[in-house]
Amino acid sequence: MKRFAELDSEAFCRSAARRIFALQLLFVALVALLFAAAWAGGERVWLWSLAGFLALLSVQAVTISWLMVGVRKKLLSLEGERDAFYQELLRLSAFSSLGEISSSIAHDLNNPLAIMNEEVGWIQDLLQGQDPSGPHALSEYANSAVQIRLQIQRSAEITRRILSWSREGEENRQLVDLNVLLNKTLVLLESDLSSARISVTKELDPRLPPVSGNLPELRQVFLHLTKNALDAMKDRGGVLTIATESRGDLVRASIRDTGPGIPKDLAKSIFSPFFTTKPAGEGTGVGLSISAWIVKRLGGKIEVESEPGAGSSFHVLLPASPAPPQEENPR
Amino acid sequence: MSAIRLLIVDDETRLVETLSKRLAARGLEVEGASSAREALDLIEARPFDVVLLDVRMPGMDGIEALREIKRLRPLVQVVMLSGNASVNAAVEGMRLGAAEFLLKPLDLETVLARVEEAYEKKRLEEEKVRSDR
Repeated sequence: MKRFAELDSEAFCRSAARRIFALQLLFVALVALLFAAAWAGGERVWLWSLAGFLALLSVQAVTISWLMVGVRKKLLSLEGERDAFYQELLRLSAFSSLGEISSSIAHDLNNPLAIMNEEVGWIQDLLQGQDPSGPHALSEYANSAVQIRLQIQRSAEITRRILSWSREGEENRQLVDLNVLLNKTLVLLESDLSSARISVTKELDPRLPPVSGNLPELRQVFLHLTKNALDAMKDRGGVLTIATESRGDLVRASIRDTGPGIPKDLAKSIFSPFFTTKPAGEGTGVGLSISAWIVKRLGGKIEVESEPGAGSSFHVLLPASPAPPQEENPR
Repeated sequence: MSAIRLLIVDDETRLVETLSKRLAARGLEVEGASSAREALDLIEARPFDVVLLDVRMPGMDGIEALREIKRLRPLVQVVMLSGNASVNAAVEGMRLGAAEFLLKPLDLETVLARVEEAYEKKRLEEEKVRSDR
């Protein structure tokens, strides 16, 4: 399988600038030493001219490193701009991911509504019937009332799910159990999953350490990745595999599909903002780029393995957080 | 005129139950099924005029079931039911020969009207088949 990694040009430039700067310092120190030696050595002209030459070089070098500092500053400000751009994109995509799950929500809510609608209709039918207060009608009313209450509870459960999606843990970093998060993501996409032809395999490591991150952001990452995997198998069905694994200091969560895979010529572009292969109106192309940015900010990365015709795997690697102190079992 | 023989297919069993009671009270002959599999078995076992078929069901979904029903009994009219206005599913359903597409929650008068239209359509098609022979 081919592996695609993201090139981190900013980090590269920064470390290069640092290294050049250090070399220049060394250079200047050497020149100073030479000067001192020439001074002490008396009238050796060649030593003086060598020192002058080196001094000239070091002036140039200092200029170069000064320029590099400028470049670095520029890069930092660009990075700041990029962060601001992604923050904004993240804010906007919160709406779009709500849009993505909204058809699922609509379906989930319309089912209990449809049932309540029929129950109420049935009560009205009986009321307009021949014996609205007979024993049969009375037991039917009671029966319908129970059913309506049941469906109201079911609807409330769905709205709670939406609320918890949009509100829970808005700002702060917290310890997140990726197993729980992945299971919740699957519940959210339940009705997408239940409609035929996609089966789910879970390979969750029960001893997975938590990661530190912002919950709604991480939720977006896994919603995007899972949605993408489902979309990849929309036409022909397949197997969705959700796996977690502890790898040294890292935690790896993988979303695998058995869809058509990523064509080689598109592989480089998949993390670019606004890149999408979906028709207009179905995808905005921001999901993967935002996800990559979120994960990178938490000190992790997303790796992709894909084989055209054999599906894709997206691996989210995040630094494991030290487990919270074990609570004493109260019983 | 004999009663319209209707089959309601939805994984929400309570919806099937109550809708059946209400439509039966309006003179239809109603059967219910809670999965596509069960519905196909029933359709193979006895004659129906119209099928009310939910699009989204676990296991075999409505679109697949529609294809099967049309293969088994081309003249049976299928009215699709859906919880969300998915244009794609509606277009796909129509292409596969569904007679109508209704959104949940259902309006009973509309359901009755569409079922009667579908029944009428089936009767006309049957007559046409008979006269072609």
